[in-house]
Amino acid sequence: MTPPSETGALLEHLFRHQAGRMVAHLTRLLGPARLDLAEETVQETMLRALQTWPHQGVPENAAAWLFRVAHNAAIDAVRRDRLIGEKTEALVVELSQASQAAPGGQDFEEQLRDDELRMIFMCCHPEIPRDASVALSLKIAGGFSVREIARAFLAEEAAVAQRLVRAKALIRQRGLTLELPRPADLQRRLDAVMEVIYLVFNEGYAAHEGEDLIRHDLCSEALRLGLLVATSSLSAPRAHALVALMALQAARWPARVDEAGDLVLLESQDFSRWDQRLITLGFRHFDRSMAGEEVSEYHVQAAIAATYTRAAAGKSIDWPLVLSLYDQLLAMSGSPVVALNRAVAVAKVRGPEAALEAIAPLEQNPKLRHYHLWLAVRGHLLLELERREEAAACFRAALECRCSEPERRFLARKLAECGAVADAATLPAA
Amino acid sequence: MPHYMLLLYDNPANWQNLSPEEMQQALEKYMAWTQKPFRVDSKRLAPDVGRVIRSQGGQPRATDGPYSETKEVLGGYYTIEAANYDEAVQRTLDHPHLEYGGTIEVRQVYGS
Repeated sequence: MTPPSETGALLEHLFRHQAGRMVAHLTRLLGPARLDLAEETVQETMLRALQTWPHQGVPENAAAWLFRVAHNAAIDAVRRDRLIGEKTEALVVELSQASQAAPGGQDFEEQLRDDELRMIFMCCHPEIPRDASVALSLKIAGGFSVREIARAFLAEEAAVAQRLVRAKALIRQRGLTLELPRPADLQRRLDAVMEVIYLVFNEGYAAHEGEDLIRHDLCSEALRLGLLVATSSLSAPRAHALVALMALQAARWPARVDEAGDLVLLESQDFSRWDQRLITLGFRHFDRSMAGEEVSEYHVQAAIAATYTRAAAGKSIDWPLVLSLYDQLLAMSGSPVVALNRAVAVAKVRGPEAALEAIAPLEQNPKLRHYHLWLAVRGHLLLELERREEAAACFRAALECRCSEPERRFLARKLAECGAVADAATLPAA
Repeated sequence: MPHYMLLLYDNPANWQNLSPEEMQQALEKYMAWTQKPFRVDSKRLAPDVGRVIRSQGGQPRATDGPYSETKEVLGGYYTIEAANYDEAVQRTLDHPHLEYGGTIEVRQVYGS
């Protein structure tokens, strides 16, 4: 036993990283219908560590300790659970055998990656509604608590808990399994997984409220899951495009706000603060996404992110290229948000007048009416055209919408630029 | 310097809804507290019901511990040094166990 004073620091996020793997591993052994039991067992294992390690020191191989205790706790739980009935002994044998394998060994690591991959495909099964898949993936694979998920998505804890219950009930009722999708089904299943991963990423990256730390964690988790899928046997070029897109966007994270916590627009960002490791990762997967003929929305978005990122290498942003990519993306998705983003490129290439014209049809879209970025972009274009009063009206309306504190301050600054400082009293209290 | 025992009572339900990240943060706080210079010793008790031995009609008899009847169970103990009760309590106030809903009983080790 190591005296506490000699123990090293714990690995960062050790529990979070191991929890998802342990739940996936135990669920394979116990069966998807006993997902709850696997989760409880892992919770108990972490509690055991919490109770023991402060006094006995952190074990030399902490991950191996966790897996050993989890196997034993699962065996106890299986023996206690009368509902398991005649299957008890078979499960106990399987758990005992599995506990012989040591984490850290190459075979075991590969097995765990496979367990996690199967788990994420089950969590994102098309039979489960998207919002429930998002919650389930974060809870099971990502090791987020109900409270953290609720905080990240600005939802009620009870609502998130309800989604999880519903998702688990669906797994049981529909008999969803951890089997990997059949080839005929693979594309549809892969798309469902990627959609969930991208939703998680976007929530972290583009959410308008919420705590920074938890949003950052969402992005990292989405990237981790994206990598898991992209580097698996079920991968496709578009999975690499998704990883590239997420990595290249996330690379800009450290430069998005300045020391005062104020938003910094892309072109004014301090490029030296962009995360080089993520840029390298992003371009590596961008290259791999080029294999084959496939061009997905993820490809085009990754290409846009790559174009921005090249500006970090001292070049100016190639706006005509960005515009042509947005043209392509708009043709593929038809999304009003894409149309709005495209307008920024239109303004750069053809001027603010053309950009205003381009977004005019969006005015009728009820979804955008209370979207602060729509109002902010419109206000920005009007301001460039010296139509100050109309611009001020846009920024004022944008300030009425839900947005983050840095965004609020940004909008207030733009409003002041319109010469509307005199009626600052009408500003909502920040 | 006199020794004081800190008896840590747990309610397992307090830990059910914490995420792995939060569990690790809790663990780190407990580990940090255990490094305090006035700590003499600490031990964790096994997470089982234990046994209670009573004399019944002059015969000692062992039964399972009180685990199932109470929500809070004695989960571990520390021995710390302190000049008096006031200091012992003062030194214990920042123990993370309190932050996570546990209870700590402070008792002087007699004659120490």
